[in-house]
Amino acid sequence: MRGSRLGKWVIAVGMAALAIATIYPMLFTVNVAMKTQREYILDRFSLSSGLRWENISTAWESGGMARYFVNSLIVVTGAVVLLLLIGSMAGFALSHLRFRGSRALFLGCLAALFVPFQVIMVPLARTMADTGLIDTYPGLILAYVAQFLPFTIYLMTSYYSRIPSEIVDAARIDGNSPYGVYRRIMLPMGRPALLSVGVLNALFCWNDVLIALLMTPSPERRTLMVGVTSLRGQYTSDIPLFASGVLIAAVPVLVIYLFLQRQIADGVTAGSMKG
Amino acid sequence: MPNGDSPLLVRSAPAGRTDEAPAARAPGRPLGERLAPFVLIAPALLIILIFRLWPLLLGVNFSFTGDGEQNGAQVGLGNYAELFDDPVFRIALRNVGLLVLLLPIAVAIPGLLATFIFLKVPGNRFFRSVYFFPAVLSPVIIGAIFNLLLSVDGPLNAVLGFVGLDPVDWLGDSSVAIFSVVGVHIWATFGMGLVVFLSGFATLDPTLLDAARVDGASTPQVIRHVIVPGLSRTIQFVFVTTMIGMLTSMFGLLFVMTGGGPGGSTYLPEFYIWIQQGQMNRPALASAASTVLFLVMLVVGLAQIAILRRGLKEE
Repeated sequence: MRGSRLGKWVIAVGMAALAIATIYPMLFTVNVAMKTQREYILDRFSLSSGLRWENISTAWESGGMARYFVNSLIVVTGAVVLLLLIGSMAGFALSHLRFRGSRALFLGCLAALFVPFQVIMVPLARTMADTGLIDTYPGLILAYVAQFLPFTIYLMTSYYSRIPSEIVDAARIDGNSPYGVYRRIMLPMGRPALLSVGVLNALFCWNDVLIALLMTPSPERRTLMVGVTSLRGQYTSDIPLFASGVLIAAVPVLVIYLFLQRQIADGVTAGSMKG
Repeated sequence: MPNGDSPLLVRSAPAGRTDEAPAARAPGRPLGERLAPFVLIAPALLIILIFRLWPLLLGVNFSFTGDGEQNGAQVGLGNYAELFDDPVFRIALRNVGLLVLLLPIAVAIPGLLATFIFLKVPGNRFFRSVYFFPAVLSPVIIGAIFNLLLSVDGPLNAVLGFVGLDPVDWLGDSSVAIFSVVGVHIWATFGMGLVVFLSGFATLDPTLLDAARVDGASTPQVIRHVIVPGLSRTIQFVFVTTMIGMLTSMFGLLFVMTGGGPGGSTYLPEFYIWIQQGQMNRPALASAASTVLFLVMLVVGLAQIAILRRGLKEE
């Protein structure tokens, strides 16, 4: 590739411009969140004259964000724990305890991956209403588990398939039951995959708005992302408070991203490997 | 649960791994152990059956019944007829067509950027981290941020004004709004395709690339003759997942940025389903729309795979 040194730098400049375009919207929002209302109206682009954390605390308290934040934490924690538990059990069974029909079950799981929520949301809402699960934490948790379980099972099964069967056999010789193998071998050895899948599921659930809107209509059970959708109506004229509310909802994701970027990317790409 | 005959069983296990292991059927072992695979898989199976596959059948069945006073009565294809008569649903389908047309762009952007990062453009690690970040943010947050950026007196129009162009009503003009929303969606999600492409690059045979370089191939030639054929599976995967993403994960953006407006111009099937179910109390009509969406996804997905297979084989 002749002349590639210059070419590389030209491309790098273009990519840097794109990187700025990617970061700028976030920085703009942070800057707006730190402004007074007056400052914003006078000049929305100027740098804020100071760090006004009181905007954040006002949005947190008066906007009901605190309540929504706790709701989201409860639901996401419940869903992720269940997903990892149920998904790893199924993944172990499908990868190492072959039985009549296990292949068909795995394929069924893959098929469920291609049934988007939008396609089943109407009958699902009705089932949830019939069983009294609508507008409850367990109902929303269950809806999330159902939504992300096929993906979780798929990743756990392909991860566990790479653990040599000799390890399982050796554990059986040592007198472990299949349940013992699951608890003493599969759970500890599956930690990297569980972390990856867990983080990704947490992001999916945390970021969701459609399922939450449908499953928990009442304000007391509202999740943080549903709360964000109502911010605009709440602060029609006070844009800095609006931006502060958005920031509150984005910060947990930013923190997770900074520490677990590698695991998130691994989870996203794991599906592409086997095709 | 220690068990006397397990050594024998273990010896037979590897042989049986080809298809079904005798483990589940081997006699003389406690029932609890023989049932282990089923016990372990039962919760997953029940949840997927009850909350994913059963509603799919229920919904298709439901789409042939009436709403409101006709609740439960069979109406044949009545809902489908109404659906295709509804100008808003027709807009939603037209917008799906638009998404399909824009799909190659949505795949080419992360593909090209991944290629540059792979070819070790200065700062590639930094670019990778930055580009990927919006992909992990909720569409609701992205939408809220872009409500500010795209407002008539917002930053984007300020940039246009700076270079002497007239401001554009990005979200209020019915001929522009859908492009604004799709543009934001692509901006927010190209990082996903990027990391998938990069993981595909990691599997490329480096000796092929070196050989091409030694032969004096230019960068575009390397991309065309070495990288694209080597990444056929990855490209196929990104095409399908990007399409699914466009059809099923733009709800948050639509909900926050346009609410389907102006004049219904930014409707997509998923938004239509939500409005009919949640606002209009027309669940049966919504189910018909769901079924149409499912068929659209099926057709688009299969067609893509077929086209890409052929295209990449000819290469």
